[in-house]
Amino acid sequence: MNEDGSLVRLEAIHKWFGALHVLKGIDFAIEPGQVVTIVGPSGSGKSTLLRTINMLEEPTEGKVFFDGREITDIRTDLNKVRTEMGIVFQAFNLFPHKSAVDNITMALEKVLKVASGEAKKRAMEQLEKVGVAEKANAYPEQLSGGQQQRVAIARALAMKPKLMLFDEVTSALDPELIKEVLDAIKKLAEEGMTMAIVTHEMSFAREVGTRALFMDDGVIIEDGAPEDIFSNPSDERTRSFLSHVL
Amino acid sequence: MSATATREAVAETPPDTRGPTAREPMAILITGWVSIGAAIGGTLLLQLLQALAGPQVTQECVAEGVERDFTGAGGVCNILEAFRSRAQTIVLLLAIITGVSAIVAGFWRYRHMPSKRMREQCIAGAVLGVQGLIVALALLWVRQAELGTFVRVFFNIEVLEGYGGAFLQGARNTLLLAFAGEIGGIILGLVMAMLVLSKRRVVRAPARVYINFFRGTPLVWQLLVFYFGLALGLNLDVGAFQVAIIVFSLNTGAYAAEVFRAGIQSIEKGQMDAARSLGMSYMQAMRYSIVPQAVRRVIPPLMNEFVILIKDTALVIVLGLLASEYDLLSVAREGYSATFNSTFFVAAAVGYLAVTLPLIRLVNWVESRLRSGLTGVVGQ
Ligand SMILES: Nc1ncnc2c1ncn2[C@@H]1O[C@H](COP(=O)(O)OP(=O)(O)O)[C@@H](O)[C@H]1O
Ligand SMILES: [Mg+2]
Repeated sequence: MNEDGSLVRLEAIHKWFGALHVLKGIDFAIEPGQVVTIVGPSGSGKSTLLRTINMLEEPTEGKVFFDGREITDIRTDLNKVRTEMGIVFQAFNLFPHKSAVDNITMALEKVLKVASGEAKKRAMEQLEKVGVAEKANAYPEQLSGGQQQRVAIARALAMKPKLMLFDEVTSALDPELIKEVLDAIKKLAEEGMTMAIVTHEMSFAREVGTRALFMDDGVIIEDGAPEDIFSNPSDERTRSFLSHVL
Repeated sequence: MSATATREAVAETPPDTRGPTAREPMAILITGWVSIGAAIGGTLLLQLLQALAGPQVTQECVAEGVERDFTGAGGVCNILEAFRSRAQTIVLLLAIITGVSAIVAGFWRYRHMPSKRMREQCIAGAVLGVQGLIVALALLWVRQAELGTFVRVFFNIEVLEGYGGAFLQGARNTLLLAFAGEIGGIILGLVMAMLVLSKRRVVRAPARVYINFFRGTPLVWQLLVFYFGLALGLNLDVGAFQVAIIVFSLNTGAYAAEVFRAGIQSIEKGQMDAARSLGMSYMQAMRYSIVPQAVRRVIPPLMNEFVILIKDTALVIVLGLLASEYDLLSVAREGYSATFNSTFFVAAAVGYLAVTLPLIRLVNWVESRLRSGLTGVVGQ
């Protein structure tokens, strides 16, 4: 936890990709146990924001605090920090040359130095939890998109993270496969996992989130209870966005 | 359950879409085959029959400049006799007549064929006819030339006698040079690829200089300079063979570095993201995620490089190798200097092809296997 009781705190974050100003002053914090859903138009900087939290993108300006450390400090061991937060990507990004179970044991063994037998046990527990244990020895290309994404979730969870980040994890899935992935995330929310979820599934955001953010053009425009944001948004841009997606 | 399975099994046999054939297109196709078969097969058969009859030096051979008293005169004369025989004339005429018939009939009739298969048979017959005609005319033309000296110099198989062991050792040394150079090159290339991909210029620059230097200068220059400059000039204690292995490694390393770099860059960026997000260091991500995937993609180009290297090892001919270190080409040159007969070089070519042709087939097989999906190669 940070000094102010939050798990993550972003202070005055700016991100430039060359001449492109993508994040334009982001300030916000996530409290332990919160499930923050982030919505907003494509290109508004949602992915960049999530990737800034685990420093896959280094902010051009501003500070990121995680669990009592300033992780934008160059002396912070980011590899260590990243073991404490998981991220799941839109494109799954499973290792195609490893079976489902080996996708999970890899980091357990090589990073956390868990013994191979124990790593396998932990991997199977997580696969069980997301309902793909029977596919443990299948390679990613032999799995459906929904199964691949659940393996990716299991891979992140096996590290026992304090925070989970989800970046449009159902956007690449066929409609009939979306539910199985969302259900896995719901289950996590019920267990009290702290999460930040970028999604286009509005009803899901409403149901599972304890807090919602609306982003547009690199800034957070709304931040509040999901009912408020989805039912009576105060900002015109939010209203227009929601009328398009709902 | 079983009903579905049966239906699927039936559905998986594609229908025969080739269509029927008929006498006419079959006749054209066969005529084409007769033409090419007579030109190549007939000629070889006549050579074989003559060879089986045993070596003899005839009057005609002597007239063509094949004297009785050199090694292999009988064999050379056999080749000439068979090639000049009346049977050979008939064979060539047959090839020309059938070739022309197949061409005329095939190209004339293929448009009128009612099925795809028949059309293809007409075209194939005509194409085979073209090939048979070209070979037959070429042989006919060669037959008019002064052949005695040519055959004696390039196809006097008897002069090779006693060089079998030397050629075997030469082949062994050629492969040794190629394998050692390839292995050294792959290790060096992988390291250099990693350096060249660094985001730090001070790390990239020296690797870039190395790669560009060895790609930008002739291999034969590298061999000469390393051998005469370093081994002899600086008086370091390395022999020509070791120098050759070092230079082949350095040279292959430069090319392999580019192959690995392209392979690594072809891996989706998400793979690095995933590995880093799990807490792996850059080097761990490379080692456990990126490089294993890249290696699979670079196997075909690296095998192609290996085929090239096998042939390039012949350049050691410019170095002062010991007789026991001779590669295929050096052995051939040695034989040539002793006899002034170029049949040794023909034998060397056969040696190289014996190694490279199967390897080329293997590359093509691996490539198609890799293309048809990862599981076959990945899953073990
Ligand atoms: N690595 C990058 N290099 C350059 N531009 C980028 C990069 N990543 C994202 N962008 C740009 O930043 C903007 C925000 O992207 P992103 O955060 O992915 O938006 P969102 O996830 O909300 O759709 C987009 O205009 C995108 O093209
Ligand atoms: Mg995005």
